[in-house]
Amino acid sequence: MDINPDATRAAARRIATRKRRLTVLVMLSPWLIGFVVFTLYPILNSLYWSFTVKRYGAPARWIGLKNYELLLGNDDLAQALKNTAYLAAIGLPIRIGIAMLCASLLARPRRGNGTYRLLFYVPSIVPAVASGALFFFLLKEGGPVSSLFRLFDAEAPLWFGDPAWAKPALIMVGTWALGDLMLIFLAGLVDIPKSLYEAAEIDGAGRWAKFRHVTLPMISPVTFFTLLTGMIGVLQSFDQAFVFSQGVRRGRLTGEPDGALLTYAMLQLRHFQDGRIGFASAMAWVMFLITLAITLVMLATRRRWVHTANEKLL
Amino acid sequence: MTVRRVLLLIGRHSVLIGLAVMFALPFFFMLLQSVMPLQQAKTTALWPGHFEWSNYSRVFDRIPLATYVVNSLKVCALTVTGTVLSCVPVAYAFSHLQWKGRNVAFVFVLSTMMLPFQVLFVTQYQIFSELGWLNSILPLTVPAFFADAFSIFLLRQFFLTLPGETLDAARVDGASELTVLRKVVIPMAKPGIMAVALFQFLGSWGDFFGPNIYLKDENSLTLAVGLVRLNSAVARLGESNLTMAASVIFVAPLLVIFFFAQKVFIEGVTLTGSKG
Repeated sequence: MDINPDATRAAARRIATRKRRLTVLVMLSPWLIGFVVFTLYPILNSLYWSFTVKRYGAPARWIGLKNYELLLGNDDLAQALKNTAYLAAIGLPIRIGIAMLCASLLARPRRGNGTYRLLFYVPSIVPAVASGALFFFLLKEGGPVSSLFRLFDAEAPLWFGDPAWAKPALIMVGTWALGDLMLIFLAGLVDIPKSLYEAAEIDGAGRWAKFRHVTLPMISPVTFFTLLTGMIGVLQSFDQAFVFSQGVRRGRLTGEPDGALLTYAMLQLRHFQDGRIGFASAMAWVMFLITLAITLVMLATRRRWVHTANEKLL
Repeated sequence: MTVRRVLLLIGRHSVLIGLAVMFALPFFFMLLQSVMPLQQAKTTALWPGHFEWSNYSRVFDRIPLATYVVNSLKVCALTVTGTVLSCVPVAYAFSHLQWKGRNVAFVFVLSTMMLPFQVLFVTQYQIFSELGWLNSILPLTVPAFFADAFSIFLLRQFFLTLPGETLDAARVDGASELTVLRKVVIPMAKPGIMAVALFQFLGSWGDFFGPNIYLKDENSLTLAVGLVRLNSAVARLGESNLTMAASVIFVAPLLVIFFFAQKVFIEGVTLTGSKG
């Protein structure tokens, strides 16, 4: 029999290629199956439900855009969005600013820095429900914080009893647990070449000038990343707000006091638990679209304020 | 040393010590309150008159704490196993296998992290309810066996730091990709796998949202849900000493793990995929 060596080799290569493709597919299969079953199908299905009246155990009834129209005029939703905007505009910069401060104080290897890093990081491994319970106790009437206020002859705010102070209390817990942000900034600071600081020193730059003209631009991709994930996190914030408003009054997710702690995610869960599946789905999709819009706007304006020499992170 | 440098040093350390106190003080008050006698817990006292250690055993009377701990551990063990088993091969395919469209696919996987959980759980609840899985730990654990984006990301970044030549050497010797993964990559990537396992453990241990909607039966709750229930129940009674004792029991395992594995947390995470 006449054997063509080229043809055999080509066939062998084809088999190898097919085998390699199969290997890749098998290795990816957990994610692929999970994506279709637990992500893609739920997203599309909730899009469909968002146009219907739906209760569990009953078929969905198409009502077009009605759910979305109801959302527009919903007072609770306006309140939840206002709360979210407050947390994003005031809480996020505080959190990121202090995380950046901690990281830049601890970036260079010095004696004691390892201990400080540990201490600063520990609160962030405390789950939100526990830090919520802890701060609920710390800030309650007659709790440790109000005792500290009394030391200085000052009246402590009521925190969770006062709509004006409930959100600052929420921000406080978030700021306490900024260790994960600090780590991200530390990772970014380590990547800044020392030569840039040396060059700045030769040009006569002081501490502030070096921070302003070297650190800030070089760290800006990291800042961008923390802002983006932070915005998404605020929009979805649930656990701590839930614990705080639960502590005030049990039962329904009211966002006590006076809705000051009502977050978008809490409001959505309330409609879900009350069995308004279609409406809850519409809320979820609006949240999805807001997230998408924030992400796209931030990515589009990125070049304006992110220094692009250091792009490894995103 | 000039006066200026001394002043700077003092300034730096006073900022750091100030911050350290702010971070540590809540823990301190939590411990103190957890051993506060009841009569005192209702007052503004900061320091317990005597250390009431029985608060810890009283928590066990108030809620089925041991059951909750076992439930939480069960969920954690299963999700950690599932995450490691499913994410390791996926991360391997995204780091050391060559295929067309790999980078685009990876960006796609990453982008799923931006998806709000809210857009998923409404339908997921329906799926689990049709499967008859409500009021069991299956909705909390089964999805973990299907690779999540965050763990894939962490593992991939770690795998990328492994030397490709070592893997190629094994391939030249005729090892299949599965063998390369098992015999070469996994032994070298233990710190990365450890980090993913730890983050998953932390996530599952502290998770409140999932257990809160899927578990109904009092005896099937996890500790996170139990803690919230206890917190809202005793808030009116003023027994914050019990909540704090329960919180200590809830947080202590995490702190212990953290102090033993701090290197994994602080150094085992690589964001950029380059060994720094």
